[in-house]
Amino acid sequence: MALLYGLLWRLLLALLRVKRALMSWLRGRLRNRGGSLWERMAAALLLPAALPTDSQKKLERSPVSGSRADTGSRRAQWLADGKALEKLPVHVGLMVAEEEPSFTDIANLVVWCMAVGVSYVSVYDHHGIFQKNNSHLQEEIMRQQQNLLGLDGSKYNVEVLSNGGDEHQHCVVSCRPTVKVLSPEDGKHSIVQAARKLCHAVENKERSSRDINVSMLDVMLRESKNIPDPELVVKFGPVNSTLGFLPWHIRLTEFVSVPSHRNVLYEDLYGALQRYGVCQQRLGQ
Amino acid sequence: MSWIREGELNLLEKIASNVLKAGPMPKHVAFIMDGNRRFARKKNMERQEGHMQGFNKLAETLRWCKQLSIPEVTVYAFSIENFKRTKEEVDGLLDLARQKFERLLEERENLEKHGVCIRVLGDLNMLPLDLQQLIAKAVLTTKTNNKCFLNVCFAYTSRYEITNAVREMAWGVEQGLIKASDVSEALLSECLYSNNSPNPDLLIRTSGEVRLSDFLLWQTSHSCLVFQSVLWPEYTFWNLCEAILQYQLNHKSIQKARELHREEQALQQLEADRACVADLLQHQGNGKPADAKRRQEALHLCTASREARVQDFLQALKQKRNHFFSDLYGEAVSAYESQS
Repeated sequence: MALLYGLLWRLLLALLRVKRALMSWLRGRLRNRGGSLWERMAAALLLPAALPTDSQKKLERSPVSGSRADTGSRRAQWLADGKALEKLPVHVGLMVAEEEPSFTDIANLVVWCMAVGVSYVSVYDHHGIFQKNNSHLQEEIMRQQQNLLGLDGSKYNVEVLSNGGDEHQHCVVSCRPTVKVLSPEDGKHSIVQAARKLCHAVENKERSSRDINVSMLDVMLRESKNIPDPELVVKFGPVNSTLGFLPWHIRLTEFVSVPSHRNVLYEDLYGALQRYGVCQQRLGQ
Repeated sequence: MSWIREGELNLLEKIASNVLKAGPMPKHVAFIMDGNRRFARKKNMERQEGHMQGFNKLAETLRWCKQLSIPEVTVYAFSIENFKRTKEEVDGLLDLARQKFERLLEERENLEKHGVCIRVLGDLNMLPLDLQQLIAKAVLTTKTNNKCFLNVCFAYTSRYEITNAVREMAWGVEQGLIKASDVSEALLSECLYSNNSPNPDLLIRTSGEVRLSDFLLWQTSHSCLVFQSVLWPEYTFWNLCEAILQYQLNHKSIQKARELHREEQALQQLEADRACVADLLQHQGNGKPADAKRRQEALHLCTASREARVQDFLQALKQKRNHFFSDLYGEAVSAYESQS
């Protein structure tokens, strides 16, 4: 009997995985060529939200890199898209829960976020690959800025969140959009470091344990006072977990999943932003 | 209504349960039971009635978990943020809690029969004293049961919990039990309200919201998160099965990520111990560089003394927490005696 249940279970999981693969394949087909009739019918059944509308199709067909006029109109369109949302997050987290992240796709996402009007973008993967290849990511972002927005690199600044770096010179005076590259060390490890610092202060009789409260810890865990917690985290990949992403900062963060970051489109990101736009936070009340 | 809902699974549910159990099962599931008020609005009921239905659904869900051999469940019953609600609603919720904990005490034999241990996690001193005393009684009464565990988060937020853990470690330093350099991720985990439980394998939030709302942020960093759109009072056995299926689909990748994280933690601890060794050798040393053997011995010494300090500290912390409950219980008993 146990054997039978075991087989049934394996069958069930296999079916679910096949369904997931089918959906992802269909999504790809619909994007590239509109898809044949039966593909569109299957899509209508399995993932109605993925069928592109006419305006989306127009956007997809426009070239990625083009003349200055093209990039200018795209910039204006994206800015207008941002304004059209009911609310736009100030800080968006891009969490890649897939193996071997694609730097070009992430760079695209970062540039789109900033074009739409997001002020802070955090990029995270739980292997710490982005942080280890920070300069590569920086180059990709500059390149995609050029491609998509026709701008030179001076308009934006990209910086690494350095762990354990006390002298973090972060210029908060400007309103320039900022990108942060995060790894698991910025999560629990940062909290432990803050705790150690406080305990050292107690050891040196500079402080009493009774002084320690939530806002004190919060200030210590915030790189700069102006950077709010991420209101939205877009998770790329099939893994349903935060995988260590900034535990302290995600208490009210909305999580929206996108199946993959590979060959991701602007529409995928915008869909996530729209989802955020309509959510209602009651904040305990 | 009761904490324990008797009843059996029907045939189809039994089959589904057996199929699921052929795969990896979560040992600890956490629930954010959201949607009581929307349910009440939908059914044209009073809000309070919606919360009552929510409690009934909790009892039913506990039965399903038991039947699925899930030994531990944690629920988010009342957030510190909920104190911001209208006085009427807050009083209603606290009254409901009083009712339920009193009922729990009445059902203590039944709970013992089923082996249910109830723990309450949160900043309990924010609650009215009589409710604190009831909670203390409930916790102490079911303390020795050990077949299944229900953790009720009441007057709880994760940030308060983490801050409290840091404060406890600082207290340990003040008492001279541990050094600041002993502070680690593992030690912080041991100081949380949930230190008697393993981290949740699966976190389920109902009613369609896709956020964590300050619930178990530390403990669920590598848990499977499932957001379901059903309102909590309408939760079904099949919803639970769906969530468990998600857990099973994600199981391998999450295990890998957990392993990676454990390895990094071990590396960080090793680094910290090596720093201690460097310190020790500097103090003991006579200017000559230490050989590998001496370094190895020093490492063993540092690690062993750190572990001993930590054990003593955790023992003291456990006693402090036990005293908190037994003092409340003692106050309750003497208050009762002075009344009669």
